[in-house]
Amino acid sequence: MRLIIVIVLLGCLFLLAHAQVCGATDIPDCSIDLGPCFKTAGGQEVMFDILPKPIKMMKELIFTVRAAGNHSAATVFLDLSMPGMYMGINEVILKKTPDGSYRGKGIIPRCPSGRKLWRAEVTIPGAGKVSYIFNVSK
Amino acid sequence: MFASGLLGGLGHCSGMCGPIVATYSLNLRASAAPPLSQAYLPHLLYNTGRITTYSSIGGIMGLTGSFAGVVQAIEKFQNITMAGIGALMILMGFAASGWFSFGRKRENPSGLPAKVGSAVNRIISFISETHSAGSFYVIGMATGFIPCGLLYTAYIAAAGSGAGTNSQIEGFLKGMLMLFLFGIGTAPSLFLIGRLAAFKSNWIRKRLYLLSSFFMIMIGAMLIYRSFSD
Repeated sequence: MRLIIVIVLLGCLFLLAHAQVCGATDIPDCSIDLGPCFKTAGGQEVMFDILPKPIKMMKELIFTVRAAGNHSAATVFLDLSMPGMYMGINEVILKKTPDGSYRGKGIIPRCPSGRKLWRAEVTIPGAGKVSYIFNVSK
Repeated sequence: MFASGLLGGLGHCSGMCGPIVATYSLNLRASAAPPLSQAYLPHLLYNTGRITTYSSIGGIMGLTGSFAGVVQAIEKFQNITMAGIGALMILMGFAASGWFSFGRKRENPSGLPAKVGSAVNRIISFISETHSAGSFYVIGMATGFIPCGLLYTAYIAAAGSGAGTNSQIEGFLKGMLMLFLFGIGTAPSLFLIGRLAAFKSNWIRKRLYLLSSFFMIMIGAMLIYRSFSD
């Protein structure tokens, strides 16, 4: 009986590792391939963009964040994760540029399961956090 | 990195590599070797092989400071390895099921079909009856090449740390250490799966051989499909 449970659990783990986990936060709310996305954090508008387009996995990408208002933080943190599947810690540090935006380089890894939904959580010190959920088509 | 491996091992690795571990574990045969080596050595060697591959590639990532470049160079090899492991699992699944009976016990085996069938049976027997301890190390090393999103994230971190160092040797060592720690973190869950599967392998073979065979064949087919779809 114990071994049946082990096999069933193993099968479930495997299916879970591949299945799409549905939840309120799993719906893409940012069409990043079409242009920058805008959301509000701490009462201020935050723009998020990725270049070059079309956005490709496994290639070096430039992440840009621009927050309305004056921010004294020298860096902004970007956490890339996959909703429903633990993919490790993928943090991109964005540094302030002369034009006031924050920019940094990072990579979105490919998941062999075929999942393409990603979450970028932007942390602006002193302003708060904001998440963007998007599909990476390639 | 160790914590990342540990967290990933619990869900991600157990689900993705667990079936591979269970496959070779179910085929472990009892021998005259002391119980300790019979019980633990194959899994120890398998995980050591995996960690060897991770650390080596991590070192290269740290040395070059480039994730994309290294991955591009090994991508084809990764897909071939994944397809190979998939094929191996399918053959082991058929071997476990006993469905293959080509060329077996024919009175006068002759002609090409019988010879081919006999050769296939010999291959299946060779693959499914793993006696050499070293073969587990090799299987582990090969498994380490299977594409994995969690692993890619660890490689990205290794490449990033290497890019920030002053010397290539420092970058190499840093990358290697990061992936070594990551690999160690993933080991406990896979070790446990291997032990659980091997513990009752005879029991499973007698009662659940159809289910386990189907499982192995299904996973093998999925690995082959993925290797061509990437």
